[in-house]
Amino acid sequence: MTAFHKLIANVKTALERAPRPAEPGHAADGGAAMPVAGDLRRTELIAQFARELAAVGGVFLGALTADQARPRIVALARELGAKAAACGAGVTMDLAPLARALEQSGVAMTRADRKSVADRAAYRDRLAQADLGIVEAHAAIAATGTLAVVGAADRPNSLTLLPPANLILVHADRVMPDLAAAVAALGTATFVTNRVALITGPSRTADIEKMIVLGVHGPKQLYAIAVWPAEGAR
Amino acid sequence: MAAAKPDPAPDFFATSRAGVADAELRRKLENSTGRHLDHVAQMRAEFPPYDAERDAARAIKEDAIGRLDQLLIELKHQLEANGCTVFIAADAAEARDYILKVARQAGARRVVKGKSMATEEIALNPALEAAGLEVVETDLGEYIVQLRRERPSHIITPAIHLSKEDIGQLFADKLGIPYSAEPATLTAAARDRLRGIFLAADMGITGVNFAVAETGTLVLVENEGNGRLSSTLPETFIAVMGIEKVIPRLADVPHFLEILARTGTGQKLTTYTNFISGPRRKGEADGPGAMHVVMLDNGRSTMLADPVLREALYCLRCGACLNVCPVYRRIGGHAYNSVYPGPIGSIVSPNLFGSAAAQLPFASTLCGACRDICPVKIDIPRILLHLRWKEGQATPPIKWPADARRARAGVARFARMARHPRTMRLLTRAAAIFARPFAHDGYLKRMPGAFRNWTRWGRDFPAPRFRRRKHVP
Amino acid sequence: MTEVRLFATCLAEQFFPSVVDAAALVLERMKIKVRPLKSAFCCGQAPFNEGLREPALELARRFLNSCEPGTPVVIPSGSCTSMVKIFYSDLLAEEPALAARAAAIRPWLFEFSQFIVNVMRVKYVGARFDRTVAYHPACHLTRELGVVDEPRVLLGQVEGLRLVDFRNPEECCGFGGLFSVKLPHISAAMVEDKIVRLKECGAQAVVANDCGCLMQIGGAIHRQGLAIETFHLAEVLAAR
Repeated sequence: MTAFHKLIANVKTALERAPRPAEPGHAADGGAAMPVAGDLRRTELIAQFARELAAVGGVFLGALTADQARPRIVALARELGAKAAACGAGVTMDLAPLARALEQSGVAMTRADRKSVADRAAYRDRLAQADLGIVEAHAAIAATGTLAVVGAADRPNSLTLLPPANLILVHADRVMPDLAAAVAALGTATFVTNRVALITGPSRTADIEKMIVLGVHGPKQLYAIAVWPAEGAR
Repeated sequence: MAAAKPDPAPDFFATSRAGVADAELRRKLENSTGRHLDHVAQMRAEFPPYDAERDAARAIKEDAIGRLDQLLIELKHQLEANGCTVFIAADAAEARDYILKVARQAGARRVVKGKSMATEEIALNPALEAAGLEVVETDLGEYIVQLRRERPSHIITPAIHLSKEDIGQLFADKLGIPYSAEPATLTAAARDRLRGIFLAADMGITGVNFAVAETGTLVLVENEGNGRLSSTLPETFIAVMGIEKVIPRLADVPHFLEILARTGTGQKLTTYTNFISGPRRKGEADGPGAMHVVMLDNGRSTMLADPVLREALYCLRCGACLNVCPVYRRIGGHAYNSVYPGPIGSIVSPNLFGSAAAQLPFASTLCGACRDICPVKIDIPRILLHLRWKEGQATPPIKWPADARRARAGVARFARMARHPRTMRLLTRAAAIFARPFAHDGYLKRMPGAFRNWTRWGRDFPAPRFRRRKHVP
Repeated sequence: MTEVRLFATCLAEQFFPSVVDAAALVLERMKIKVRPLKSAFCCGQAPFNEGLREPALELARRFLNSCEPGTPVVIPSGSCTSMVKIFYSDLLAEEPALAARAAAIRPWLFEFSQFIVNVMRVKYVGARFDRTVAYHPACHLTRELGVVDEPRVLLGQVEGLRLVDFRNPEECCGFGGLFSVKLPHISAAMVEDKIVRLKECGAQAVVANDCGCLMQIGGAIHRQGLAIETFHLAEVLAAR
């Protein structure tokens, strides 16, 4: 503690050499309410998200209902030649039917339930072997083609890190116009208790002659689906 | 090794001369920085609120640095509430000792590092290696310079001084892969090599881009995913941050993110923006069991006390001022003999490394391109001028080569004489008459004294002229 | 009739007197009475940029005492103008009386092209100049004073003149005052690259508003024996 007090004292003395600016008023935090856009606006936002995602090397598979999404994902796993996949718990949707559909198509699934996660080393090894990681994002950002993924016990962060390909689902109502809206919608409490990763495209580097290469340490392929509520569900 | 301490006797004149003479280096710098500047120009054009966001970000920094003491108290409190251990390091040695202590107590043997200028600044790698730890830089550029046992030559693009052919040869030699100059092939080779190292590492160390006081959240911005891996997989995670990284609120973060990548890398947003508030919670599969945050002063409170230099603490370390700087583009980062090269390096290095870096504020034409591109509009030329004045008074005086000393004395002499315009005009007339026989259509091929370096370096010198006309009496 | 004071600047007095003559001629043709500002020789930028504040301060004092608020002072240099208009506030921080005088004089100071376009509201000065011209935007002119369009507007109205673009025109030529001789290798490398780009664009002449840039670019062009001429904007506007 003395070191900290010494630092604070140093900083205080340093600051006193020049006038301190007035403290701005703190605006109250909006919190976790997700604003729901009208249908037209929602479509516009999804279209913009799709465009921006493509610009950073991601692939938008479409705005689909859950029933349409399942076969599309099974087909994707086949296209990728995926033998093993890992899946986290959903946020707004139940991903269990999807996992079952994949299993039925012959993909070995690793779930993130309490039992599988308990042996952390074994779980990590399985993720490192998985060909495809699947999660649901809390929100997407249209302006940048970004997916905001909130880590949790049943949605480990490594799901979007270790497998070479990722599929990220987002509820169609949760496509926000910009970064500020997404951060406000998630709310400060989420950031205190959970790890949040804003993911904008596949892992990439420009460290060799400023030329862009996809797939360095994180996934090389990133797929996204905006999940549209089924008819009459809203 | 890779992260170097400041050279014991750095000679900016010698190293910058080597940089200028390396035509290949200048070509590589021109290509890479040019590509970056094109991207930034495009980003700025496509994002009309860019300038308003710069002002907003600067205002937040002004506020944050202006009440740094309060924010640091709040940040420390929040981080501890989130389960982190916070250590305050007054200087580089304290920071290194603490990190070594943590490593020892955790029984760590293999360390993976995300890109961090703060750990370069404290020369952490040599200290860890001396203690018998295996340290691997995992950012591709940092990995490349570590393999070459060099220090980064750029704060964002560490291997900017190397061509893809250089890197191809390096990987063939060190990793034993067949030679290739294909960036995709080289990147894949590094990925394969590093993936196993990540999975086996027991300690991860990264830097910090922003630390949110309100929530005790560290924000880590990156493209490759190595920062996420370094902070997620190893059992012990240490984040090293300069005390100036603190910002008040989570809602401030978007303002910085809107400009940081646009300026730093020419992207709208980097691939990964990681918000990390604490260690693994009960029941979680990944994340570190222990998370330490090292808050580093190392001369920052001295900068804070200087009302002009204080502005340098707003720096986001985006690296754009290096790319736009006509001096950096000619000599490269290694010439600066400092962890922080380029315009921003020239203002922070003297404070960090003392007289060894005292020449750097003079390594600029004060053209102002750095201030124009800076995402928080730091008035770098003004700070350079301030430091030239301050460093000029320092004891011991700055060590200049004889010619530079002569030039400096010459301008002082000129300033004394220029107080007497009539005398100056007489002298100009005398010089014009004297120079006439030596001039070739108005130019002199060789100059004496303080000016001899003009004509030695590729330029003729205009002969003094004097004409009795109405406007020049 | 408007009256202005013309401050020659030390570089022009010593090496480019024709620039001063040309600037005066252009202004006189606009029916302006031009009085040279004789009692100062240098604004103090050279010592100030070297961190030699005391000698710079004496030159600033001398310069400020030579000017009177109420009479415009025209300076054919973006660099010297920005020294007085901008950097004096740091130089004079501990000289309140002088700082007050500088503040009173500041609105009356104009860089040459700024004065013609923004004060006199003139774009066409009746000049004729039959050459292909590249315009080099000087750093202080552009980035300190924000004078970006004015010189181009004036050049655009010159008969016979063809303005051509070149790559990365805003990059500094490498002069930087004492920088040019203290770090001559870097300074020379900068101008070398600038000349490569100038050669590409096919210009017959380079025009700038600052004698420092003209010394640097002209000196390197002359050393390389190239057939590109260098002119101050005032010289182009005075040509008929």
